[in-house]
Formats: sequence, structure tokens, C-alpha cells
Amino acid sequence: MDEEIDTRKINNSFLRDHNYATEADIISTVEFNPTGELLATGDKGGRVVVFQREQESKNQPHRRGEYNVYSTFQSHEPEFDYLKSLEIEEKINKIRWLPQQNAAYFLLSTNDKTVKLWKISERDKRPEGYNLKDEDGRIRDPTTITALRVPVLQPMDLMVEATPRRVFSNAHTYHINSISVSNDYETYMSTDDLRINLWNLEITNQSFNIVDIKPANMEELTEVITAAEFHPNQCNTFIYSSSKGSIRLCDMRASALCDNHSKFFEEPEDPSNRSFFSEIISSISDVKFSHSGRYLMTRDYLTVKVWDLNMESKPLETYQVHDYLRSKLCSLYENDCIFDKFECVWNGSDSVIMTGSYNNFFRMFDRNTKRDVTLEASRENSKPRAILKPRKVCVGGKRRKDEISVDSLDFSKKILHTAWHPSENIIAVAATNNLYIFQDKVN
Amino acid sequence: MEFKVEAHRIMSISLGKIYNSRVQRGGIKLHKNLLVSLVLRSARQVYLSDYYGGICLSAQQAREWCEGEYMTSDQDKLIPGSTESLSESDETSDVAVDKQEPRDVVESPAAQHVETQASGEQDSAENGLSVSGCSDINTPEESPEATPTCEVASVVTAISSNCISAPSPSDPNEATETPTDCQTDNSESAENHSDEPKAPQAYTNRKRTAEDSELTDSPTKRTKVTSTSLPSTNDENKGETEEMDTSNVSSLITIFGSSFSGLLSNKEGEQPDSEAEDSDSGQICCDQMLKNLNPWSTAIVAF
Repeated sequence: MDEEIDTRKINNSFLRDHNYATEADIISTVEFNPTGELLATGDKGGRVVVFQREQESKNQPHRRGEYNVYSTFQSHEPEFDYLKSLEIEEKINKIRWLPQQNAAYFLLSTNDKTVKLWKISERDKRPEGYNLKDEDGRIRDPTTITALRVPVLQPMDLMVEATPRRVFSNAHTYHINSISVSNDYETYMSTDDLRINLWNLEITNQSFNIVDIKPANMEELTEVITAAEFHPNQCNTFIYSSSKGSIRLCDMRASALCDNHSKFFEEPEDPSNRSFFSEIISSISDVKFSHSGRYLMTRDYLTVKVWDLNMESKPLETYQVHDYLRSKLCSLYENDCIFDKFECVWNGSDSVIMTGSYNNFFRMFDRNTKRDVTLEASRENSKPRAILKPRKVCVGGKRRKDEISVDSLDFSKKILHTAWHPSENIIAVAATNNLYIFQDKVN
Repeated sequence: MEFKVEAHRIMSISLGKIYNSRVQRGGIKLHKNLLVSLVLRSARQVYLSDYYGGICLSAQQAREWCEGEYMTSDQDKLIPGSTESLSESDETSDVAVDKQEPRDVVESPAAQHVETQASGEQDSAENGLSVSGCSDINTPEESPEATPTCEVASVVTAISSNCISAPSPSDPNEATETPTDCQTDNSESAENHSDEPKAPQAYTNRKRTAEDSELTDSPTKRTKVTSTSLPSTNDENKGETEEMDTSNVSSLITIFGSSFSGLLSNKEGEQPDSEAEDSDSGQICCDQMLKNLNPWSTAIVAF
């Protein structure tokens, strides 16, 4: 598919000219809101930056709805757990938007231990003409007041303010890896390595534990939960993926504690591919329901799989993201790249899926035509508003002109987080500390 | 054989990762450490299964190694391979293992503390010992603040020496990415003493090296005599972990015997043994272990 680039670079790094990113600027999550009007990113420094799409104007038809910074706020601060002598990172692990119910926007953001509900609201008027205090806020001397007046709302420059409305803390012993809002818009769940808790958005001092896979003896631990999500249409159903490559679907109507799954999705391992690292590469890093709720998609290290909820024995479709890395697993283990957690996303109509790779490449797979494309998010290799050129990685043998060989891939440039607009063909791709937004070409 | 080298390398890398995870910001990541421990276990399985293939050949060269190697006076005594020394060493090894375990279990998700604990313990063990042999080994391991690589290397060599049950003659140097000669020798320690009582004995003696000579009366490896060297039970842990010359190794092997199973089960299983044991080494180990036991067990419970 043809795309044009509309690049936004977020880099608050002091050393702008240098080609490395401050670690705090590394983007750790990207999420569109349900209408696609807003795009939120979280970074390792605990900040959230929200972009808003411009209204399309007739004057500049080619600049269709670009995204501009709408609000920036510090969501989480680094903390210290004195009891365990552990530092709690402020990195934002996930952001999830709530559906809009009034003029304000609400989102949930989480770090390793604490989930916060933020309200983002606009203020474009302010009251003037108070009786007891003057414009600067100083208290007026009552004896000088001779007449009463009614304060009037005067227009002011638009100000966007973010306020934390709820803080959900102290419910997780292990690191939170996902949050998911239920279809009922009243509850959400937060997931750590061994437990899933259900919260009511209004109540912060208690949560219900709905899944607990912690063994009585930690020594018997064999798998952890890696991601979880509510069904998009059924508020009683959710899925969670494990480090062993399996997905469990649970129904909260069956029991309060959903340790027993309703469905169990697992593909038997191919014995011919067995290696030291088989367990690592089969660990699922992300799981997503399709918008229809009929399918679910999982991402493990080398593949993306689409599953039909009605078929537990094997996936419906398997797509190889970067199979050329299979022979390099040992080196990837050494440099820790094998532990990278790639995410995957559906497009609005569930016909295309997208996921990231290394060297700032990201891949899209069309489920209907079975075509796939590799694109690169890089400023050096493509100009703004230019159409992205498909890239190709050559696997041994002769390297053609535009191809890149496996050995020259840059493994420090990885695209872990991507997002797709809920209805249009606009994607947001986070490449380390840069955010790229691509749109479909308009003819 | 290249599998062995590869496995060995992977094991050392895995240990390094586990060590580093302890000092990482944000606390220990359960998921990553679980995966690393699984890799470590797979690598160890391959390493050991490979070993059994070469055990016959190794016997000969083991002897040669023996003679040419540096041995402590303690070890010399043990060479005749008396059964008493064997049983003693079993005990001590048990004790040593126990000693390690409580410390290791602190943060239960993974044996992140293993290395530091091991090195720390070595220090204490070493201090009390007049180790005549292999003092070089002590050096890298003495300071807990030793660089991670140093520590890992020593741990790795320990592991290699332990893991390599039978002397691998074909590549006596392979296990030797070790800082000291003594460690190299250690690699020859025989696990399967049932097959080659004498040769392994010599090795194990030698292996004793410096660190914990008290512990290492004769680290008779109760080698897993089983042909299937698949570590998945505590029994196997015992067999594996009889290596005593460095408590590091034994604890590590115990711990990684079956993913996380090694952490607590051995401790409980062998504690009675160690307490019954009355040898000096046992005593010292006991004391140390008991000292450490309480805070750790509470920590585990808390976690």
C-alpha cells in the first residue's frame, strides 16, 4: 500500500545534535483513542504526550488532519519500595483510553506497579471580576470594596490540563504488563506476571483478583502471564497469554476466580525447530482481539498468529515476521534482543495486521490477499511526504541492489510499539525515541 | 562436541544475565529470569548428555590430568578414595548446597543472588581456610565486589567443573575459559564415579581446590549414574551438586536442576543431613547456613 510520511519527532534530549536518544525519551507505548482523534504516547521517563488531529481545512486539503501535540504531562515518577529495597521504574508500560462520555478525555496509564486515571480537559475561558480578590489573585482589602459585581467568563488561550483523577496502587507484587478496559466501561483489569486484578474505575482502594497462577512453591514456577485483554464486545470474556506460548480464554460468569480457563489455545511445538531458545521464542509478547471479537492475534518472537476463537488446536494463520533471525538466536540471546516484546495491531476492518521488527522495519500482512510488505521508519531513508518504499531483507546468497543483508541489520533500532487508527489507514510507529505517523496516500 | 562448547557458552552467558538482573533498575524481572533459567537448564542438559558420550575416552586422559595437576595437600589425602571420604564429602556437599540455598532463595523468582551469595560465601569459607592450592582461584572470587565478569567467570568455571562429570579428554581446554589453572583441572572432576572410581576420585579431590577445602573432603559426586542425565528431580540435583570445591557451583546446579525447583526443595531435603553431620566442614557450613536461614525464609515468605 502506498503511504506518505508525516513525521513528528519528539526529542526533548538536551543533546539534540547527537544521534543517540536519552533513555528517558524512548517511547514505550502508543495508543489511539476510540475515535482516532487523539494519539497518546508514553515514554521511559514517565511522561505522556497526547497528540490531537487537526480539523481538516479547505485551505490546505493536502494537509489532511495532521497530528499536533495537544498535552504533555508527567504521569508517573520513579518510586522506591522500601520494604523490598527496590526501585520502581517510572516507565509507562501501557496506555488505554476510555471511551469519551463528556467534553473531557480519560486515559489509564500504568507503570510497573501503579495505574492512574488521567483526565485531560480543555479550558478556554476564565472567570474575571471577582469581588474578594483582584486579577492577580491577591486578596482585596474588604474595606475598599464598595460595590458587588458578578464574575464574567472571558475567553483565554486554550489550555489543556491533565489531572490525575484516580490512583490504583498497591495491588501488584510483580510488574504490571497490561491493562484493558472492559466493554462495560465501568471496570478494567490490570495484569502482572502472575495475577490479574479487576478494578472498578471509581474505586481505588480495592480490586478483585480474577486470575492467580502463582504456584504454592515459587520453585515450581514454569510460566508467567505476558499479556491480557478484554473481549471488545463481551464484558465477561477476556484472554491472557503465557510465556509458554498458550492463550487462555476465561469467562467471568463461570466463577469469581478464573483459574480454570474456558478455552485453551496452543499450537504443538514443531520438534524440528527445537533449540536452546525454543522456549524463549515461543513466549507470547502481545495478544489482541480483532475489532469484531471473532479472532485473536498473538505475537511471539518470530511470528504473528491469527487464531479463530472457535478453534483451539492451532492458529488460523501464521505469518513469519523475520524468520531469517532463526539462525541467529544465539547472538540475539547474548545481546538480549531475544527478550524484546513486540506488539501487534489490527487495522480497523481486521483485514490487515501490523507488527514491528529490527532496523526500524515494520511489517504489514494483508490477510485477504496474503501479501505482505516491509517498510522502514527512518528519516534518513525517506523524505517527509514521500511514499514509503518497500524494503527487503536478503537471506544469504546474492544481495540485490536495494536489499539489506541480515548481518547489516541494526538491532538497536527496533520497533516494538505501533498503533493503527480505529477506522482510517493512519498508523503510528514508535522507533526508539521518534514517533512516525503514516497515512494512506490520497490520490 | 561443539554442542558442548556451545552449551557451555550459553550457560555462562545465562549466568551473567541472571547476575546482571539483580543490579538492574526497576527490580528483578520475573519473566526474563524465568526464560533465562530455562535456557540454562536446556544448555546444561545438552552439556551433560554430551558428556556421557565421551566418558570412556575421558578416563584415560583423566589420569593424565590427574598427575599433571596441582593438588592441595588435603586433596592428596583423599586420593585413595576411601568410602569414608566419599560419604563425608557427600555430607559436606549437602551442607554446602544448603548453605547456598537459603541465600539463593531470597528473591524466589530466580536465583539472582546466586552469584553474589556464592561469592560471598566463598569469601567466608576461604577466609577460614588455609588453602594451599589454587590460590589463584581465590583471588578472583574473593571480593564480592569483583567485577561481574570475574564472578561469573569463576562461577562458570565452577559450573563447568561440576557439570563436566567426566573428564572430557577430547577438549580438556574447553571448560577452561577459566581464569586459573586449577579451575581447568576441576573440569575433570568426575561425576560418574560409579564407572571410574579412581579417576573421578582424583579429580574430585583436585577439584577441591582452595575455596572450601573444609567442605570438600571429597566431593564425591554422586553422579547421576543414570544414563539419562535429565535433571528434573531433586535426586538429580543431589547428584549434580556434590561438587563442592566451590559452593557457587553446587548451589547453582541445585538451583537450576529443574527450573526453580532447586531453590527450596534441596534445602529442606538436605538440611537434616547436614545437621546430623558432625564433621568440621559440616559444622561450619551448618552454622553459616543456620545464620542465614531465618532472614531468608522470612524473605521468601514475604515475597
